[in-house]
Amino acid sequence: MTLTDALERDYIKVPLQARTKNAIIEELVEVLIKNRPTYNHEEILSAVLAREVLGSTGLADGVAIPHAKTAAVDKIALVMGITPEPIDFKAQDGKGSQLFFLVLAPEKESSAYIELLASIARATSSSVVRRLMVKAHTPDEVLQLLLD
Amino acid sequence: MSEPFKDILVYLDGSEDSITAAMAAIALTKRLEGSLTAIYVVNTKALQDLVKARIFLDIEEQEYRRDIEEDAGRYLRHVEELGRQKGVDVKTIKSSGSVNTEVRNYLEENHIDLLVLGGISAIHSRRDELLSESDRMMRTAPCPVLVVRDNDSVWEMFEAMPNVQVEVENDTY
Repeated sequence: MTLTDALERDYIKVPLQARTKNAIIEELVEVLIKNRPTYNHEEILSAVLAREVLGSTGLADGVAIPHAKTAAVDKIALVMGITPEPIDFKAQDGKGSQLFFLVLAPEKESSAYIELLASIARATSSSVVRRLMVKAHTPDEVLQLLLD
Repeated sequence: MSEPFKDILVYLDGSEDSITAAMAAIALTKRLEGSLTAIYVVNTKALQDLVKARIFLDIEEQEYRRDIEEDAGRYLRHVEELGRQKGVDVKTIKSSGSVNTEVRNYLEENHIDLLVLGGISAIHSRRDELLSESDRMMRTAPCPVLVVRDNDSVWEMFEAMPNVQVEVENDTY
């Protein structure tokens, strides 16, 4: 499973409104719940925040990939959000983050989960892709950028 | 060569699509009186990349490696059992490393005639970094590749094949 396999228009929010780390995570979870209303908001949020306690998922170059394996989802979920300005996500390079990918997986989909995370890492390793993504104003622009 | 495909390899990745591909491969192997191997590659390359990119902590890498190792065993046993139901011996291979490299090496070293895949991405991107493992395999395999797409018809075809034994282990994957 790749980024383009998993990412759907309704699961992209541009721009995100939140301006703090926990609020960003909460906003991404809300996007998921809006699309999959049977999911348990608190359970998902707890799983993601518990992972953050172990170490920030804010990576280098403005990318953050909060993630968790949780029984609260029945299939892999990917939500993407972009903030207009860099947000302090306690990233490893000390810089602000603007591109956020929330990835959740049920217990039994480890292989697809690993492949998806690796695909996001590969896609965002390109400075061109990152630069273009932060300039996207709509979910369609994000999708078009990936499919170009 | 009396038949076009005698030595067939099916790639499993833990998805339902790959199980469907295995069903199609079993049916084909039986019809062609060939031999079938199922391979599952534990994607340690991706795991290492995730640790290197600091997306995964060491503890996560260990946990997922264990999970995928278990998945591999479970899926291979399941396909072996599916083959047994239909009278086809399925040789199983569990490997680890870079998925595409491991499968390509196996194809070359064992002179495989046909690679069977499921789950090719429906969405296309020109960006190489967005290719899935199955896409890479399809593009780089040194032999013909069969991509199995229509899950329902394959499942129906498989179910319609006569079973060679009544007792079947109830091993859910």
